[in-house]
Amino acid sequence: MGANVQKNKIDVKKIDRIIKGYDKSEESLLAILQDFQRAFQYVPEEGMKRLSRAMGVPESKIYAMGTFYKALSLKPRGKHTCKVCMGTACHLKGAGQILETIERELKVKRNSTTEDGLFTVESVNCVGACAMAPVVVVDESYAGHVRQSKVMDILDKYK
Amino acid sequence: MEKITIIIDGKQVEAVKDQPVLMAARENGIDIPALCHHPELESSGGSCRVCLVEAVQGGRSRIVTSCNYPVRAGLEVNTSTDQVMKIRKGVLELLLCRVPDSEVVRGLASKYGIDEPRFFKDEGENNRYKCIACSLCTQVCEDVVGVSAISMQNRGVEKAPGTPFHKDSQACIGCGACAYACPTGAISMKDSKGVRTIWGRKFKMAACSVCGKPYIPQAQVDWIVKTTGKDRAFFDKCPDHR
Repeated sequence: MGANVQKNKIDVKKIDRIIKGYDKSEESLLAILQDFQRAFQYVPEEGMKRLSRAMGVPESKIYAMGTFYKALSLKPRGKHTCKVCMGTACHLKGAGQILETIERELKVKRNSTTEDGLFTVESVNCVGACAMAPVVVVDESYAGHVRQSKVMDILDKYK
Repeated sequence: MEKITIIIDGKQVEAVKDQPVLMAARENGIDIPALCHHPELESSGGSCRVCLVEAVQGGRSRIVTSCNYPVRAGLEVNTSTDQVMKIRKGVLELLLCRVPDSEVVRGLASKYGIDEPRFFKDEGENNRYKCIACSLCTQVCEDVVGVSAISMQNRGVEKAPGTPFHKDSQACIGCGACAYACPTGAISMKDSKGVRTIWGRKFKMAACSVCGKPYIPQAQVDWIVKTTGKDRAFFDKCPDHR
């Protein structure tokens, strides 16, 4: 409980600092939401509310924006994001089994976060690296020709 | 307002330049079905695709949405050729798949001979009840009412109108314009014992001083007084007793 209160306090200050760095204009909205995403690994509700007040833009519009873009998450995300490509080439090369292995080993369902908050596992449609199929992307690093037996070795490096 | 003559279904009719074809047709007694268009809202239309017609201009024929296709000189419109009817029927069949619960869509589809769609019926997790995601409600809320209490959220098959964070919207004034504008009756609004419930929030209604009937949400009175400077006493009586 105490830790939670502390965390919220930091959040609010950080939120206001991010908003202050931009002009008061509708054009800044997306950039600010992206900054929230980077700073907190998700877009907090309090952030959208403060942004609405600071910019004079209705909450509904900011919420619409936050739910529209896949790059923005409204739920807290894990420290690392693990994307499993489900594009055509990766699919044919067994991406399904790779995703299932990750789900089983990390005890997590796709498009959600592990209990310890370390990984968010997502299935995505084509990351544009079909020659390396099947592809798993952890944070910004691409791993190609992933085999079912080796996929956990990649993730273990982030533990 | 420049008046020009165009041809709709082989009939010469007068229309205002740049007016939507749909309006020109209706003014001349030719009905074109449409869901997402509202005559009071310039930004509305173009999303339900029910009002598709054939537009012939300069010898070229195109299928266009009549609700936002402007009237121009030399335009010839056909609202019920075999091709148009076939396409409109297809559109309605797909809409019926999406909102099988909607009486309006069901009624319109049955006029075109569709009682049961051939494809899947959306009854799963993305079921939008009666909503066809035309965004007329959010446009009314923003452009006419001016509060932007609701917006279109998510995208693709999940796109639907709602309040921010799916919680009670503090911006909402309970006016019910969204429910009124909705072409498919998808927005629930209930008035009971002086309380209106809409978008999950309850609004206290102000009563008429003559007949005692609750007729307008207090929040709406406050909003109108605040934005237009109208005298608050004006709202003591309902429209029937003013």
